Amino acid sequence: MGHTTSALRMTGVSRTYGAGEAAVRALDEVSLDLAAGSFTAIMGPSGSGKSTLLHCAAGLEQPDAGQVTVNGQPMPRGSETRLTRFRRERIGFVFQQYNLLPTLTALQNATLPLTLAGKRADRARAESLLTEVGLGGRMHHLPDQLSGGQRQRVAVARALITAPSVVFADEPTGALDTRSARDVLALLRSTVDRHGRTVVMVTHDPLAASYADTVVFLADGRLDPSGELRRPTPDAVAARLAHLGDRAVRVGA
Amino acid sequence: MFVLALRSVRQRPGRLAATLLAAFFGATVVIMFNSLHDTARQPGTDPAGTESLTLTAGVVGGYGTLLVLLGIASTLTVTVRQRAEEMALLRRTGATPGQITRMVVGEALLVAAAGALLAIAPALLAGRALVARFHETGQVAAGVDHVLGPIGLGAGLGITLLAAAGAAWLAVRRALRARSRRPVTRTIAGALALVAGAGGVGATFAMEPTEPALMAAPAFGSILIAAGLAAFSAPLLRALSTMSGGALRLLLGAGGHLAVLNLRRRADELTGVLMPLILFVGMATATLCIQAVESDAIAASGLTRSTEDKNLETLNVVVVGIVAVFCCLLLINSLASATAFRRREFGQQRLAGATRGQVLRMVGGEALLLVLTGILAGTPAALAGVLAFTAVRTGTVRPAATPGVWLGVVTVAALAAGLAGLLTAIRTLRTPATVAVAA
Repeated sequence: MGHTTSALRMTGVSRTYGAGEAAVRALDEVSLDLAAGSFTAIMGPSGSGKSTLLHCAAGLEQPDAGQVTVNGQPMPRGSETRLTRFRRERIGFVFQQYNLLPTLTALQNATLPLTLAGKRADRARAESLLTEVGLGGRMHHLPDQLSGGQRQRVAVARALITAPSVVFADEPTGALDTRSARDVLALLRSTVDRHGRTVVMVTHDPLAASYADTVVFLADGRLDPSGELRRPTPDAVAARLAHLGDRAVRVGA
Repeated sequence: MFVLALRSVRQRPGRLAATLLAAFFGATVVIMFNSLHDTARQPGTDPAGTESLTLTAGVVGGYGTLLVLLGIASTLTVTVRQRAEEMALLRRTGATPGQITRMVVGEALLVAAAGALLAIAPALLAGRALVARFHETGQVAAGVDHVLGPIGLGAGLGITLLAAAGAAWLAVRRALRARSRRPVTRTIAGALALVAGAGGVGATFAMEPTEPALMAAPAFGSILIAAGLAAFSAPLLRALSTMSGGALRLLLGAGGHLAVLNLRRRADELTGVLMPLILFVGMATATLCIQAVESDAIAASGLTRSTEDKNLETLNVVVVGIVAVFCCLLLINSLASATAFRRREFGQQRLAGATRGQVLRMVGGEALLLVLTGILAGTPAALAGVLAFTAVRTGTVRPAATPGVWLGVVTVAALAAGLAGLLTAIRTLRTPATVAVAA
């Protein structure tokens, strides 16, 4: 393990919402170290802090304490503009609700991160990425002319366009039918296997989690002390989740 | 459905603010000018005063009312469109198109009525102040007090409610149609407005140069032509966006790139924002220039100008100015509302890697192209009326003061549109991007 470079490292990351009596500690000193070329799923009951973890790791939210490094470089703090510049060159993000821009075609959406970074929109690369995700014939369609699964595949192409150190996916199959969900998951899997990308995915579907190499579990803002689950099967994931749920209830009671 | 409308008004006061403001501003203008009719009709008003009040109420009040009708209607077009998603949701949960129409129109009526009722007190004060100016300038005998009666109230409420309900009905009908094809109603209405406007401008030539109401025909003509051109302004905006794409990208970077793509795709939806812009440029340039030409004509008639004449000139500019200010407020209101509605879109852009600065440059670039379209369509509308008036009144086709007035109006339009867009965007961008896309 010692020689593998770490694509994402979080050390003692905490995030609290609200103040005083109403304060909610969404993340409580979470530490994670993910190797380059790995596919990790993050699971936990709702309200466990999964989305906050993903947002803090991806630079969409600033943690109150702790540090995040991407490919060895510390995430800047303070101004949103600096954070945005850091993020758009190193991090790709796939959202549950796609978040494609409605006035841009599939191709324009896919090249948007490059355009925003002031780089030449690499059309050839975008076209080959879109072809790879199966949308070679629909590059000039607007998002509302595409199905949910197709939109999510455009979003995957957009997340990959800058050759990011880490790709984050927040419930990427949450709004899709079973078949489209399978396509998107296979696509994420192949970006790891064929292109050596690092993928971190939040999901609460055990079947989706089984596409990952490793599953980490989160409850009440902390990583489950029983450790991660390697080479997950849907059944094993479901069993751990049920166990996690039981314990959460016991702790709460 | 009326209960549903009432509930939805109560639950969402913020989103109805634009409609409420437009109704409020509009009703204030209509009530204020039409109350001059009430004042003129009360027993004991001197004949000269009656004539002077009726003339102002008829001319400025007349085209002011037309502007209010158009302004409220275009605001409603913008605000009803913003609810397309909600209407789709209601449909999926089993509401019939008729029920949705009744809800949206009912809501528009409620909000417009509230705006009109709120306008009564300020309109009363403004009307009093206006009649005081008539006293000062000796147009109306000092003993004649301002009265707000059935004409002012009736016109204020009637026009506001009619415009709101009519526009809401048209907009909801368009929204409920599966896929909007060519906007047929808009094309027909636009063509009719152009024909009527040309008629108004033409009618100027049939009038006597010294006719007191001579200004009415070209002013109405300009406003109608502006409204007609606004209906056809989408292709102009699209062409302008395509043409200036390179320059805007060079000037504003990725923000300019996004501005061009947005405007090309949304040109049709933006007619509701272009309407008040074009109306403002057309109406303010036309009426202020016509007033300047009229003042010069009086001066040139050889009579030495008394202080009274100068006072009258000021009064006329004040009266025209009130309507111009209304148009400007309407323009700010609709642009601010359209920008605030884009919270989710701004969030999506930021999540895709846009900095706040890039989003603001995009908004600024869009405002720039909208204003350019407004100038390109509003200027010919204004010129038509001004040239006709100048030709009849002075026998020449060189209107005085026009370049200066035009420059002033265009500057105000650019500042109003730019600031309304940018300040609203800055406020909208305070919401974290992750929250903005979730809402």
